[in-house]
Amino acid sequence: MLNNGSLTRYAPSVIGWIVLVSLPEWINVVAYTDLGSRVVILGLAAMALNFLLGHTGVLSFGHAAYFGLGAYGAGLTLRYLAPSTGLAILVGTGVGMMAAMLIGPLIIRLRGVYFAMVTIAFGQIFYFIAFRWSTLTGGDDGLTNWSRQPINLGFATIDLKSPVAFYYLVLFVFAVATAIMAKLLNSPFGRSLLAIRENERRALFLGIPVNLRIWLSWTVSCGFASVAGAMYALLNNFVDPRTLHWSQSGAFVIMAVLGGMRSFWGPLIGAAIYVVLQDYLSSRTSNWMSLVGLVFVLVVLFFPRGVLGMLGRRTQA
Amino acid sequence: MTRNAKTPGFVGIDRRSLLKVAAAAGVVQVASPFVRTARAADTVKIGLDNPLTGTYAALGKNELIGAQLAVEEINAKGGILGRQVELLVEDSTSGDAGAAVQKATKLIERDQVNFLVGNINSALAQAMAQVAAQHGVLHVIPGGHTDAITGENCHWNVFRVCNTTAMETSAVAGSLIKAYGKKFYYLTPDYAFGHTLQSTMEKSAAALGGSKLGADLTPLGTTDYSGYLIKAQAANPDVIIFFQAGNDAVNALKQAVQFGLHKKFHLAGAQQELEVLLGLPPEARVGTWVFEWYWNQPGVAGVAEFVDKIRRKSGGHVPTARTWFGYASAWTCALAAEGAKSLDPVKMAKVLQGFALPPEIALMPNGAAFRAGQNQLIPDLFVGNAAEKGEKDPEDLFRVTEVVKGANVAGTLEETGCKMTWPT
Repeated sequence: MLNNGSLTRYAPSVIGWIVLVSLPEWINVVAYTDLGSRVVILGLAAMALNFLLGHTGVLSFGHAAYFGLGAYGAGLTLRYLAPSTGLAILVGTGVGMMAAMLIGPLIIRLRGVYFAMVTIAFGQIFYFIAFRWSTLTGGDDGLTNWSRQPINLGFATIDLKSPVAFYYLVLFVFAVATAIMAKLLNSPFGRSLLAIRENERRALFLGIPVNLRIWLSWTVSCGFASVAGAMYALLNNFVDPRTLHWSQSGAFVIMAVLGGMRSFWGPLIGAAIYVVLQDYLSSRTSNWMSLVGLVFVLVVLFFPRGVLGMLGRRTQA
Repeated sequence: MTRNAKTPGFVGIDRRSLLKVAAAAGVVQVASPFVRTARAADTVKIGLDNPLTGTYAALGKNELIGAQLAVEEINAKGGILGRQVELLVEDSTSGDAGAAVQKATKLIERDQVNFLVGNINSALAQAMAQVAAQHGVLHVIPGGHTDAITGENCHWNVFRVCNTTAMETSAVAGSLIKAYGKKFYYLTPDYAFGHTLQSTMEKSAAALGGSKLGADLTPLGTTDYSGYLIKAQAANPDVIIFFQAGNDAVNALKQAVQFGLHKKFHLAGAQQELEVLLGLPPEARVGTWVFEWYWNQPGVAGVAEFVDKIRRKSGGHVPTARTWFGYASAWTCALAAEGAKSLDPVKMAKVLQGFALPPEIALMPNGAAFRAGQNQLIPDLFVGNAAEKGEKDPEDLFRVTEVVKGANVAGTLEETGCKMTWPT
């Protein structure tokens, strides 16, 4: 999307979408459909984080909190409120985004490592609430006794029991979310975020209300993380406090860095690498975590702009 | 993230060769698959989705060894319905429900397993049960204790080998009151699992005339228990009950011993594992606990042979309760299929209603059977005391004082809250 070639501009995006749309057709050769859903969902979460990290230049280490709030919002809705998948996604997103809006003003004046630390702290608050409030959330045992429900569109009902049907719901949500994200980034608002990333002081002198913009970027970013969280809960038919834990936030940062923080689609590639690597290696050796770590170290050492960043540089040269 | 690629390392190895070595070390890891056994075409598949990394790795590996032994024995006896059995093993991680669900889906959808086995972590076990129930696959939970699994969240296809927390606390409460007195003081880790343990223990103690002198909720990860221990001492109970697990248990018990509390009062708790006692410093191996299975059972047929077989597989170590869970879980799958003469999950689940494990698999004095309508295995529980060191064997760290019949502590079916619905 943010490519500056003219002929090759849309080619990668078109190929990427063809790969995603045709995924259920070929993935069973190498894996299984739910793995594709997982890649797309975690990819969306990493892209949401990257809206803040890569495009605004602010590192959050607490995105799992909003991801998890989305998940709990969706799970609790289906468990207690109404058997409606659509409502669950909306409530999950709303809860996560609302929390981010309220917490935002408390943290946007911080920068760098201080910002990261405070986002962890707020994230852990939600983790411990979910962990301790067992009557509502099931505590450490997780929220059970609910599952995703068929979506009734009025003229037709989509049964989400089959992994393929659910994958297409995930892909639809992903497409809408990324379209909005791309639109925002290409707008003057998005450009002002890039200006803040490149040189905050200069952006301030140009009259950009830096803190307000960071707050907006934070809210948008957390909002999309909650969308991903809601979908994640529906994928697993289960939520537990671990989705809110800072180590989950760390996984999102790793995905974004692996794929490339400066590129729009990078985090999706990062999520794909992370999830597929984990799935493949952990079936073969119980030392899979050291190998995932090794890949991360190699990428940071040799391609500090991530996998997509490296590819982009090659084509330009 | 600055790059200075040409800088040599400080010991004269340049970065490139260092990385080559690191990469080679990594490749060796992948190239030597020790987890997955060879795959054959027409086999019956048991999918084990259990922790191999993280907090529960040691427990998970013991369950794996037990399951592997069971599969070898099943195959030696001609397999399931004449087909060889294959054990597919996936690492569920110790705490990531997403990963556990992903692996369960992988086993069911891609590998088409006939049975799903796992998990040690209760949360992960419940998440997997949800997947198994959705796909209608027979699921055996070897070692996740939360009561809801065979209580309010029970499913027709989900069976559990290990005990519920309520069974464990009832077993130990009776023994404590008989031997040490009726006044208890509780130190409970402040989260759901701890709360459940305390409330069930209080209930079982009260039924036998026991009383609560006081209780403290200790935050998870507490390192200094001195304040709590002083309070407990001041209350002058007969027994101080510890529900802490992992490092919290190590800290709490070590400090209680430093304070000399084990000489003034009796120290006790609920569930304890041999893996944990082995990890404790000898002076902290004190107190009365319940084990769900123990390897040193003189006079019980088959146990000694089982211990020998496991020793040969595990580099000389004795089987723990976890090893037995894995063993009994895999055998449950085979026995269900043989009983039903079919791999149809509903038929197999029907066979397991009230099914008693044969003595050579139950390996305990009074045997073990799955309770109909709840799918919970009702075995013997072993109440006894931790020992500083083993007499004949360094791993004999537990002295069984009483074998409690599971049926006496399991409560009624109504009390469990399980209302099972079968597919029509």
